[in-house]
Amino acid sequence: MELLAQILANGILLGGLYAVMALGLALVWGVLNIVNLAHGAFIMLGAYASWHLYTYLGIDPFLGLPLTALLLFALGYALQRGLLNLVVRAPMFNTLLITFGLEVVLTYLAQLAFSADFRTINPPYAGSNVQFGGVVLPLVRLAAFGVAIVLTVGMWLFLLHTRLGRAIRATAQNLLAARLYGVEPRHLYAVTFGLGLALAGAAGGLYGTVSQINPYIGASLTAKSFAIAIIGGLDNPLGVIVGGLFLGIVESLTTLYIGPTFADVASFGILVLVLIVRPSGLLGRTA
Amino acid sequence: MKALRAVLIVIAAALLAAVPWFGSDVLVQFGINALLLAVLAQGWNIIGGYAGYASFGNSVFYGLGSYGVAIAMVQWNLPFGVGMAFGVLLAVVFALLLGLPVLRLRGHYFAIATLALSQVMAAIVSNIGIAGQNIGLVLPPLNNDRLFYELALLLLAAATLTVWWLTRSRFGFGLIAIRENEEGAAVMGVNTTLYKVLAFALSGVFSALAGGIHAYWITFLDPESAFDISLNVKMIIMAVFGGAGTVLGPVVGALSLSAVSELLASEVTSIAGLFFGLVIVAAVVLMPRGLADMMRRLRGFGWRYFIENIRASRL
Repeated sequence: MELLAQILANGILLGGLYAVMALGLALVWGVLNIVNLAHGAFIMLGAYASWHLYTYLGIDPFLGLPLTALLLFALGYALQRGLLNLVVRAPMFNTLLITFGLEVVLTYLAQLAFSADFRTINPPYAGSNVQFGGVVLPLVRLAAFGVAIVLTVGMWLFLLHTRLGRAIRATAQNLLAARLYGVEPRHLYAVTFGLGLALAGAAGGLYGTVSQINPYIGASLTAKSFAIAIIGGLDNPLGVIVGGLFLGIVESLTTLYIGPTFADVASFGILVLVLIVRPSGLLGRTA
Repeated sequence: MKALRAVLIVIAAALLAAVPWFGSDVLVQFGINALLLAVLAQGWNIIGGYAGYASFGNSVFYGLGSYGVAIAMVQWNLPFGVGMAFGVLLAVVFALLLGLPVLRLRGHYFAIATLALSQVMAAIVSNIGIAGQNIGLVLPPLNNDRLFYELALLLLAAATLTVWWLTRSRFGFGLIAIRENEEGAAVMGVNTTLYKVLAFALSGVFSALAGGIHAYWITFLDPESAFDISLNVKMIIMAVFGGAGTVLGPVVGALSLSAVSELLASEVTSIAGLFFGLVIVAAVVLMPRGLADMMRRLRGFGWRYFIENIRASRL
């Protein structure tokens, strides 16, 4: 029983991180109708940014998150403005392909720049735990979970209550009408993509504190983010929390009861099942 | 004009067939790889280019074909030909079983579902005893590059003829109709489910055969290399770069990109991968309909061709 509680706790902590990973993907998909296949690669970049800040400048990985997010925001703004805006109206397959190409480019650039070695971000408090009943919660994972929930809820409030957030939601619903109300789409698209990447960067920084980093982690993180976005639906950022927690718990249970190699099989199996049964997401409205 | 083109194609095919008789060993080995990639690109062309279902999971068929040959030859001591048939059988069964539910999805959803499938296959196969688990299988060696080269070329010719047949058959027209407007095709009496599954299976058969030849040639396979997801990157990029939905585009795309990447890889291996990524980014922006369309229209448009392409899809 205690083991099960521990596994569930692990899954929940992992799920919070998964939620932030998926949030950026869901935002870009919902507003720009681009499924960013390079999303995982940007998470990887965020992780490396955080690792460099910690290793060379001694900036704490959690305190460095805003800086990482800012870097990725700038990259995202520039990419959307200079490149992706050129293909936004092309058929769906072309936008898939171009982000697929970006994923390849980023992976190989990372391999050239950072080498294929595994990296970990190990702040001095990395080994500390919090005991809660019989359950051990690693401090780093707990902190990552807390930041993840704050980011997700913050994003939700931002979209609901700020002028920019409303402009983003309006554009997602109807680009033409939003334009008539004075939204400048080129800028707004770039801001949205930048926000998506900022979230990816923050997720990467958090990921680096709880897991190992190498240039190839991107592809499977993209697929996981996609699975979560699908499960949670695209309409509401709070949906990705549910999706993330669900996936985190399923992966932890699979690792324990079936075997660690099946964790990915389980999550992608769920993805395919959800797609087949209910493509609009378990929580989303019907398309 | 048509006769001239046919003659040119025959001459090109004859030249390709003659390569092992005067080329160096390195050239022949490069040729086998390039031809097998061209088969994959051509196979993808059937489901992605003609039916318009962008599969990111055709590497699964390749892996099934490789394992079909390996299991038949190593575990059951059967000849290579039977192994190929077994690989094809696996691919067709996979296409039917998973194609039926997955092909109901459209657009992004289909692409991601196939991507997810391709990512789990290695993990699944590494737990199957008869497939050698994660250690893999070692096939009996056959040191005859010339034979493998001609087999690969023959397979590419068969795949290309099949695609050519698509451009002039009821089945092919049905697929194109599905690509352009699936509801419309259904209204016109196309059995869309049947056509899509058949196209998926046909595409899988060629990929599986390519995988089978590769497995016997390399004589070793393990789950990671057989279900290598970067193969999806290559086959899609090659097909799109050459021209998806055209008969010769994927072949030209595969052979030209293989040659360039081979030259680059002789310097630094990861440069070749980087090159693939940059090519696809540039191609989507500047020539989204591939080399085939560019050749046709560049003369009339000149440099404006690229500007027109950008103008058509920018915000």
